[in-house]
Amino acid sequence: MAVATTRPADVVPATAPAFLVVDDVVKQFATPDGTITAVDHVSFTVTPGEFLSVIGPSGCGKSTLFNIIGGLIDGYDGNITVAGERVAGPHASIGMVFQEESTFPWRTVIENVAFPLEIAGVKKAKRIERARHFIALVGLTGFENRYPTELSGGMRQRVAIARTLASEPKILLMDEPFASLDEQTRLLLGDKVLQIQQELQQTTLLITHNITEAVQLSDRILVMTYRPGRVKRIVEIDLPRPRSSDIVSSEAFGRYVAQIWSDLREEASRGMHEAEALALKAGEHG
Amino acid sequence: MTTAILKRGSLAPALLGLGTLLTVIGLVEMLIRVGVINRYIVPLPSQIVMSFGRLVTEEDIFGRFRLTFFEALSAGALIAVVGVSIGILLYRVNVLRLACETWIAALASAPTVLMYPLFLVIFGRSAATIIMMGFVAGLPPVILKTLEGLSQTRRVLINVGRSFKLGPMQMFIKILFPAALPTIFVGLRLGLIFTLINVVGIEFLIQFGGLGQLINDLSERYDLPGTYGAICFVILVSVLFFIAMERVERWLRPAE
Amino acid sequence: MVEAGRITQGAVLQARAQPVTQVRVVIILVTLVGWELLAQSGLLYRDVVPSLGKIGMATVTLLSDRDYYWNLGVTAAEIAAGLAIGGISGLLVGIVLGGSRLLGRAFEPYIYYLGPTPKIIFFPVMIMWFGVGSGSKIAMGVISCFFPIALSVAAGMRQIDKVLIRVGRSFRANAWQMVTKIYLPAMRHPVINGVRLGLGVALIGTLLAETRLSNQGIGFLIYQAYTLFDMPRMYAMLIVLFVIAIGANAIVGWLGGLHTSNATDR
Repeated sequence: MAVATTRPADVVPATAPAFLVVDDVVKQFATPDGTITAVDHVSFTVTPGEFLSVIGPSGCGKSTLFNIIGGLIDGYDGNITVAGERVAGPHASIGMVFQEESTFPWRTVIENVAFPLEIAGVKKAKRIERARHFIALVGLTGFENRYPTELSGGMRQRVAIARTLASEPKILLMDEPFASLDEQTRLLLGDKVLQIQQELQQTTLLITHNITEAVQLSDRILVMTYRPGRVKRIVEIDLPRPRSSDIVSSEAFGRYVAQIWSDLREEASRGMHEAEALALKAGEHG
Repeated sequence: MTTAILKRGSLAPALLGLGTLLTVIGLVEMLIRVGVINRYIVPLPSQIVMSFGRLVTEEDIFGRFRLTFFEALSAGALIAVVGVSIGILLYRVNVLRLACETWIAALASAPTVLMYPLFLVIFGRSAATIIMMGFVAGLPPVILKTLEGLSQTRRVLINVGRSFKLGPMQMFIKILFPAALPTIFVGLRLGLIFTLINVVGIEFLIQFGGLGQLINDLSERYDLPGTYGAICFVILVSVLFFIAMERVERWLRPAE
Repeated sequence: MVEAGRITQGAVLQARAQPVTQVRVVIILVTLVGWELLAQSGLLYRDVVPSLGKIGMATVTLLSDRDYYWNLGVTAAEIAAGLAIGGISGLLVGIVLGGSRLLGRAFEPYIYYLGPTPKIIFFPVMIMWFGVGSGSKIAMGVISCFFPIALSVAAGMRQIDKVLIRVGRSFRANAWQMVTKIYLPAMRHPVINGVRLGLGVALIGTLLAETRLSNQGIGFLIYQAYTLFDMPRMYAMLIVLFVIAIGANAIVGWLGGLHTSNATDR
């Protein structure tokens, strides 16, 4: 199957101004077994208000991409610009939500959410008021004075999302935020995210390995190959907005999922075979 | 630990423990009275309890209690302040850390208490000797655990800080230190155990101070019930000290 | 390309080791020089800080003294016996209390709060029960190390991944098999750490007992040197003792670490 190296011009309609531009990014790592290419000439754009998902098998470099765009990794080739400015280190316009547990266990929910405002020097009363707004947005009103340990995993992720939203980023970057949750919670939280995104018109880039989630939430989906990670295909999701989780039962939804799975399956099984081969090799040397 | 247990609904385990203890005491009392156990080696538990009154009035046990508690508290405050500061210093200056960490770990396993004759000569038979020995004994665990807590902050929390563009000072105050606090408290508890052991132990050995000295005196007077009674008071000090620590910890770390 | 990578890695490591060794050398030199200055200055009473030369001489004399080794043997035997008895009983109690929620909640608090009590205060009682000879010293070692070991083992039991216990039960392992094949391997780390802690406190307990009332053993020798104000000899003994204690601790740690080379837990 041919691999499409999409360039920005191919996919973006001439009228919509690109907000995030990822231009020909290459990232390699030196390991004891040689150099591996995690991200291989990846280019794409995200337009304002758009919800773009990046999907791929484990080991395809999508988390590396997440960290690069977020400014946490450097030493890559290529260009990343946000609203015209080149990204060099964590950018004020980019908000990140991490995959792992990232709430501060020693702060209450409202202290967690107010954190970015605290850093920005906003006065306490104003901070609390703004934080309440975002807590309400994620549906956690009433839990302001609880500690993260008292909440469920899904609720903690909502706190993390609210915290990032409180910094009012121009683009929201999420790395598999629901990876540790069960399927039903994921679908419901997906609803929440959709709702918020539609309300705020928040530009969002979501990294995920879950096809259902990607199709449920996105305007476009970028399918990546297994390592070295390249753009395999960009799929326009033409499902009506506003959406809810009911959409998962529609025929169109099923077709999109099938289409993406057929792309992914090849990459995923390549990944599995390579992992097995590596384990065999390690066993021989160990 | 007791406060945690009392919070749990079920009283059954507490009753079981207490009940077993009282039964054993009752058994010992009986065996002594009957003559199976020599009453000159193990005094009657009832006599031990009766000695409490005597200890309070004649031996000024509360005064001694205060002295021991004060010594332990001083040494404890010292190890907290000095230990955490050194731990932070070593964390910041990596070269120093690489050079010293294994040495400090080695020091933790060395029987520093045996240097008490030395401290005696330098500080004399005074509270200073006791406090200094308690300090030296309890310092290494605090330093090591502070270092451990700071360097084992979860990567993702550091990344959250970086994503919000925190400066180094902000990173430390708002993320690294709060995240390290649980481990630091483990170190403080461990350090305080060594400190307390050394404080009472040195009191006993140099025959100065509070409860340790009292036990020594009573045993030399062959006042068995009194000796056992004073030992009970020492256990009480230990219990109170650690309950106090738990309170302080709960106040500083309401999250748990 | 891989070989080049390995070579540069090695060179980097060596280059990085330089400052550390330098710092250590500086610290040692400063300490030794400071010590010698203090010794020569006469600020403290004579011989409280003896010159390094005197300490060196005393160390040599000590290590060539047959009597010293005999006393060392006595103390080592007392500590070993104390550690063995206290260790095994601590292990058993720890397994029982850690394995049963009810028993643990009932009795562990007593061990937890009795632990930080300085065991030297029980020494007069030990003398009454076991006499003035080695018996009371061994007893001191036993009660010193019992508590940290019991607590570490109990905590270790509770942190064993429950699923491993279920696997054992599903294969109908009996109690002995559960202990030897599942519990002990699964909680290597806490047990070894508990033993190290126990070794430390048993050492202290036994030695302190020897300083108080004994006519043999290292503790006795140290106290004797103190009463005779033979400071260089006392320092020499302390130095040798510290080296042995640190070494023993390192050996226990190493022994424990040896079994974790193919650890997949954690």
